[in-house]
Amino acid sequence: MFRWTTTRSARKFFRSRLALVALFIIGVYFAIGTAVMVLGWTSYKYDPQQRVGMQNVPGFFLQESPEKRLEDVEILLDQVERALKKPNADEALQDLSMGQLQIAAMPHSQMQEVVDEGWKIYDALVVHEDLAEDPDLLAKLDELEGIAGSLFPPPAGWRKYLRRAEMLLGTDRQGRSIFFRCIYSIKIALQIGLVTALISVVIGAVLGAVAGFFGGWLDHVVTWLYTTFSSIPNIVLLVLIAYVFTGTDFEDPRAVEVFTWIDEHIPLFPVYIAFCATFWIGTCRVVRGESLKLKRLEFVEAATTVGLSRWTILWRHVLPNTTHLMLINFSLLFIGAIKSEVILTFLNLGVKGEPSWGLMITHSSSEVVTGFYWQICSATAFMFVLVLAFNILSDSLQDVFDPRHN
Amino acid sequence: MIAPKPTTKEPALDTLVKVDNLVKHFPVHGGLLNRVIAKVHAVNGVTFSIKRGEIVGVVGESGCGKSTLGKTLIRLFEPTAGKIIYDGREITHLAHGYMMPFRKHIQMVFQDPNSSLNPRYSAGAMLREVVRFHQIVPHHETRDYIRELVAKVGLHDDAIEKYPHEFSGGQRQRLSIARALAVRPDFVVADEPVSSLDVSIQAQILNLMLDLKEDFDFTMLFISHDLKVVNYFCDRMLVMYLGYVVEELPCGEIEHIARHPYTQALLGANPASDPTQRHELTVLEGEVPSPYNPPRGCPFVTRCPLVEPRCSQEMPPLLENAPGQRVACWAVNPQRTAAAE
Repeated sequence: MFRWTTTRSARKFFRSRLALVALFIIGVYFAIGTAVMVLGWTSYKYDPQQRVGMQNVPGFFLQESPEKRLEDVEILLDQVERALKKPNADEALQDLSMGQLQIAAMPHSQMQEVVDEGWKIYDALVVHEDLAEDPDLLAKLDELEGIAGSLFPPPAGWRKYLRRAEMLLGTDRQGRSIFFRCIYSIKIALQIGLVTALISVVIGAVLGAVAGFFGGWLDHVVTWLYTTFSSIPNIVLLVLIAYVFTGTDFEDPRAVEVFTWIDEHIPLFPVYIAFCATFWIGTCRVVRGESLKLKRLEFVEAATTVGLSRWTILWRHVLPNTTHLMLINFSLLFIGAIKSEVILTFLNLGVKGEPSWGLMITHSSSEVVTGFYWQICSATAFMFVLVLAFNILSDSLQDVFDPRHN
Repeated sequence: MIAPKPTTKEPALDTLVKVDNLVKHFPVHGGLLNRVIAKVHAVNGVTFSIKRGEIVGVVGESGCGKSTLGKTLIRLFEPTAGKIIYDGREITHLAHGYMMPFRKHIQMVFQDPNSSLNPRYSAGAMLREVVRFHQIVPHHETRDYIRELVAKVGLHDDAIEKYPHEFSGGQRQRLSIARALAVRPDFVVADEPVSSLDVSIQAQILNLMLDLKEDFDFTMLFISHDLKVVNYFCDRMLVMYLGYVVEELPCGEIEHIARHPYTQALLGANPASDPTQRHELTVLEGEVPSPYNPPRGCPFVTRCPLVEPRCSQEMPPLLENAPGQRVACWAVNPQRTAAAE
C-alpha cells in the first residue's frame, strides 16, 4: 500500500542534492540535540551556565582593545585578591575557576606575590590614556596578561581543545561560553518545535478532516472553535496560560500541588499549551478545505458505493490525501514554534533556566548597544541554518509526496 | 469499431429495479440566517423499471438530472420522495448497515477517470480493499482473483503495482470498471463512463463493457448525453429533460419511432454518419429553464415547437403510446389523460 513511499519517491528524494544537504543539516542538529539530552543524564554533563572567561570576550580568539584587556586583568586580579583575604580562601579561589581554566595550585603567599607584582605593572599602565599607540606599553600589557595568566594555567591534553571550543564564539556578559550555549539551545528548540508541531498538526488535521468531511453541526462547532481561537491574540493567551501554570494563586491545595509539579518537571508546559492552542488553526483550516474538496471527488463516492463506513472512508481515503498538507504544515509550524519561542522568551514568558536562542537574543539586547555582536549573531546564525534547512526539506518533501508530480 | 450487439434477447425477464415517482431536490442555503431559500429540482418524479439482464440508457443534456438519478438510485444521495425497489425490496431509506448487503450487488462506474481513483492507492490496493471488504474470495485467493480481474478488463499484470497517475484515461476507466465488477454485482450504474474519453477509446470501453456483461451477467443503467451511443448500446432508453422523463422508447430504430418533440430535436442535432446525406436540422431555441425555478406544466414548454395552451397549465402524463414506448406530451397524446387510462 505504501510501496511508493519506499521506492519511487525515495529515489526521487535522494536525487535532489539540496534536499539531502538540508536533511543532513537537520540530522546533525537532531544528533546534537539528542547527544546533549543523553549526556545530561550522565556524569559527563557540561554545564552551559558556568563562567568560562571574562565578560564579552570576542569569538575566534580575536584581540580586544588594550583598554578592555587592562580592565579584564584588573577584574581578575581584584577577584583573586579578595578571595585570598577571605577566611575560607581555598574554596573562594576554587569558585574563581573559569570552565576548563582552574586556579593554579600554588601556596597563598606565592599567589599574593604574583598579584602584587601584577598590580605594580597595572598601576604603571593605568595612568596612560593612549595604550594602543605605544609599543612599549603594549609589551608591558602582554607581560601583565602573562602574569595574570599564570594564576590560571592553560589545561593540558584533550581539555585544551575543550577550552578552545569554549572560547570559539566568545563569552556573554556573564562570561559564559556562547558556543556551548548555542549548542545547548538546539535541544530546547527541537523539543519545542517537535512537540508543538506534532500535537498541533495532529489536532488540526483530525478536526479539519472531520469538520470538512462530515459537515453539519460538527463543521459548525469546529469552525466556531477555530475562529474563536484565532481571534485571541497569541501572546495574551500565552500570558494567561503561563500565569495559570505558575499555580501559586489557587485556593485548592491539590491544584497548587499539580501545577507546581508541572512547573518543576515540564517547565515548558505553558509554552506547549499556548502554542498548540493557536497553531492547530492553520492546519485545521487547510485540511478542512481539502477534505471538503476530496469528499466531492468520485473516489470517495466510489468508496461509499463499495459500502465502507464514513469513518473508514475518512481514515483511508480522505486523510491520506492530505498528508502533503500535514507535512508542509508540520515544517512550517516547526519553524514557527522556534521563532515564537524567541518572542516569548523576550517577554520573559518562555524558556527559563536552560539556554535557548531566544534567551541569548534577549540577553544580547544589552550587549549590542556596547558594540558586542557575537552573542546575537551566533544565536541567530544557529537558528537561521536550522530554519533554512527545514524550509528546503519541506519544499522538496512537498514535491516528492505529490504523486502527480513526476 | 463497436462489435455487433447480441441480437438474441431472452423474452421474459423479471424486474430487477423499480423506481417509483423518485424525487430528488437539493436545498439551496443562503441569506443572513443560512436558511433554505430555494430548491434545485434535479429529479422530479421519475418512474421506470429495469428488467434483469437489460441495459437501460438515460439520455439528456447536461444538468437534466441524469447523473443525480443514477446516484440517488444507488443511494449516494438521499431521495426526497418516491420509492426505489431493488429485487423486490425497498431500499429507498435504508440506513448504512441495512444497505450493506445491497452494496455488494449494486455498483457504479464513474464519469471522470481522473477523480474516481484514489491517487494514493495502487490499482492492486484499490481492488484488494473492495475484494477483502466484501470477502468475495477467500483471503489467500485475493491475489489471483485480482490478477484475473485486471486481465479481464484488458490490462497487463504489471498494472496491479501502478498508481492512477501512471495510467491513461482509458486504462483508468478500465480500472474503474474492474472495481465495480470486483464484487460481482447484479446491477451496475454507469454514469457517462465514456464521455471523457477519446472516440477511439470510447468504442474500446463500450465493447469491453458489452463483453464483461456477458461474462459477469449484470443489469445496467447506462447514463450518457450521446444519443447515438445509447441507441447503439442499450435495449431501452429514457430521455430526460429538466428532471422529468419525457419519453421512454426501445433502442434501435429511434429515428422512426421517437414522438416527443425533445427527442426529435436531439435526433435532429445529431450529425449524420454519411456527410453527403444532408438532413434538416431542428435547432431548439432558447435555453434550458433553471432547475431552481422550473416552468409550470410541461418542462419543455419554453422551447417546444408544438406548444399548446394546455402545456403551460398541466404536466402531461407519461402514457404508453406504442408497445414499450411511453411519451409525456399533450401534442402526441391529445385526448388522453392519466385519469382515462
